[in-house]
Amino acid sequence: MIEFKNISVTYPGGVKALDNVTLNIDEGDFVIIVGMSGAGKSTLLRTINNLVKPTDGEVFVDNKNVTNASKKELKIIRSEIGMIFQTFNLVNRSSVLKNVLTGRLSQVSTLRSILGMWPKEDKEIAFESLNKVEILEKAYVRGSNLSGGQQQRVGIARALAQKPKVMLADEPVASLDPITSRVVMKYLKEINQELGITTIVNLHFLDLAKEFGERLIGLKDGKLVYDGSVNDVSDEDFENIYGRAIKSSDILGDED
Amino acid sequence: MNTPKQPINQKLLKYTITIMIIIGSVWSASGLQITPDRFLTAPGKIWILVSAMFPLDLSSEAMDRIVPKVAESLFIAWAGTVIGAVFSFPVSFIAANNVSQNSLSRVTKQILNIIRAFPELILAFVLLPVTGLGPLTGTLAVGIHSIGTLGKLSSEVIEGIDEGPLESIKSSGGSKINELFFGVVPQVMPTITSYWLYRFEINLRASAVLGVVGAGGVGAELINQLRFRDFPRAGTVLVVTIMMVLIVDTISAAIRRRIIKGRLIKV
Amino acid sequence: MFSVFAFYQIGFNLEDFQKNLSNRRLITDTLFNPKWDWAIENATLALIETIQIAILASILGCFIALPLSFYASKATNQTTITYYIYKSFLNFIRTIPDLFWAMLFTVAVGLGPFAGVLALIMFSMAIMGKLLSETIDSIDLGPLEAAKASGANQNQAVFTSALPQILPNFTAYFLYIFELCIRASVILGLVGAGGVGRIIETQRIFLRFDRISPIIVFILIAVIGIEQFSVWLRRKIL
Repeated sequence: MIEFKNISVTYPGGVKALDNVTLNIDEGDFVIIVGMSGAGKSTLLRTINNLVKPTDGEVFVDNKNVTNASKKELKIIRSEIGMIFQTFNLVNRSSVLKNVLTGRLSQVSTLRSILGMWPKEDKEIAFESLNKVEILEKAYVRGSNLSGGQQQRVGIARALAQKPKVMLADEPVASLDPITSRVVMKYLKEINQELGITTIVNLHFLDLAKEFGERLIGLKDGKLVYDGSVNDVSDEDFENIYGRAIKSSDILGDED
Repeated sequence: MNTPKQPINQKLLKYTITIMIIIGSVWSASGLQITPDRFLTAPGKIWILVSAMFPLDLSSEAMDRIVPKVAESLFIAWAGTVIGAVFSFPVSFIAANNVSQNSLSRVTKQILNIIRAFPELILAFVLLPVTGLGPLTGTLAVGIHSIGTLGKLSSEVIEGIDEGPLESIKSSGGSKINELFFGVVPQVMPTITSYWLYRFEINLRASAVLGVVGAGGVGAELINQLRFRDFPRAGTVLVVTIMMVLIVDTISAAIRRRIIKGRLIKV
Repeated sequence: MFSVFAFYQIGFNLEDFQKNLSNRRLITDTLFNPKWDWAIENATLALIETIQIAILASILGCFIALPLSFYASKATNQTTITYYIYKSFLNFIRTIPDLFWAMLFTVAVGLGPFAGVLALIMFSMAIMGKLLSETIDSIDLGPLEAAKASGANQNQAVFTSALPQILPNFTAYFLYIFELCIRASVILGLVGAGGVGRIIETQRIFLRFDRISPIIVFILIAVIGIEQFSVWLRRKIL
């Protein structure tokens, strides 16, 4: 489903974020990527929808070349890839519904979206998505009036509204408490299993990775250093990925 | 699935505002007898005017008349800003409700508001019979108005300071004057100074205009040229004025940026 | 140092000042003898005209400036060429004083309020453009990234994710510019661009300050009234 072919990314300034990464992800996979901050996790995720353009190599999603896609093709590819962010990225002053509807933008003409004349079907899809993350009743509440966990759920609903084939989650729970984090991870897992959406999640909490993961990918200094089932992973493997002993900040824990 | 309904308040507010804006525009436009087609023909007429200005009149005769006037506008703006800065500075402290008493500050603020309400041109107007035609009137008009605006802005800056340093000065036995000088002034100087410079930029435009009522500056030149239909010369006036404004703006903006970054003002 | 030079140039001459002070007697006599009836009869319509000019110009100017500002900010316009074009355009408009615009427009489209409206549209665009584009420069880019990641085009992304962020600022700036336009509109009349300024100018030439003073009082009332209204409005909306 997703193929990385010799991906390298060097930022202007000289920082080499990714170094010759080659990787294949099958349809329906639930993949968790772990690594230290700066190991390249975010960058890797962003090459999938070309928010970051690789300096070398190509990424293929569903056999389509993302890296060299034209503007038109890129729009279509992106509309099939949903993304959620560590900072939620909601439009604070807009209602929850409006935020989720931005997931449908690629399917609606510019004029209609500006005038706010959303077709009935799109609104239906938005409501369904909100229902899936159990936050339908907050549809007309302002984004900024929600808690962090609720905002992230809206983020998931927004991505779901795209009816995507792929779901990307960039450190989705880094700013959430343990209980809420697990709720969010649970939603992601459910969506993956019920709807068959290929899901890739960046995490830096090792216990969460073990709890929810199936396939685990480890990045260190932009290089792929681990690729295997989460059950086979040992503490030693983790230490290799992080290049140091495991610290308490790497574990989410259970306390509030 | 229990789909919630949109609360009425949100929709109501949006529609009310949109309607108000539409009614406002339509009422105004019809009152002024302005129809949309006039907007369509306007650009064409403007183009005719602009093309009549080229080639510009760059003769030495023209420059001899124009350049001194432009310089005069510059001086008026500068002197006016200086007056404004010098007088507004102490006044702003009186007007700040955290430095002076409440009643006194309120009165001062009201006075400043009244001064501010008079545009420079009206002030120049009023001063003309007293101070006569010429740049002095312009300077006073600009200066007085600046005292008003700078006074208000500066007092707001003073009111927004961090009380911490003031407390430490007071606790170490400093007098009120010490408090002011070492606690308040360093905090507010960068912002206030940048306001002075910004005021200078604005005053430059105002002083260019004051010539229209004979209060000195390049405005009189422009209106004369336009009246006599000497478009090339009018164009030159415009171009020279624009250039001066651009130069001053750029320099002033650069200085302001440095001040805010903390490099220039060392208090 | 420059200040001293400047003052000298202006010919800060105390002697002349004293001479002119005697003129003051004549003027203040008429000034403090307001002819209210005349003013009410002749100036009310012009005052309304002044306000109408301000309303129309500020609405048109600000709403035109709204999309322009997005093009003039690096945050929402990554195409360098168009960015520079719009930014330079806005900077250029700012250099010309409003009265100059009025003079130019009276020559181009004729005397009267239309010239005033056009001039103030330029005026409003200039201020709103500068203020708004700087505000846009500092918005949160996250929601924009999210919109683009979902396949939206640039216009859609800006409209749904950038515009809502600056709406409170836009409203505040608009009210501020509206107030400025009212004051400017009064003055524009002096060059024949409609409104109450025309009347003031005519009366000034005949030194009829007794007619001008009540007009100025009316203007003050109107300006302060509108200011209070906009303060109330601001509180209601935000």
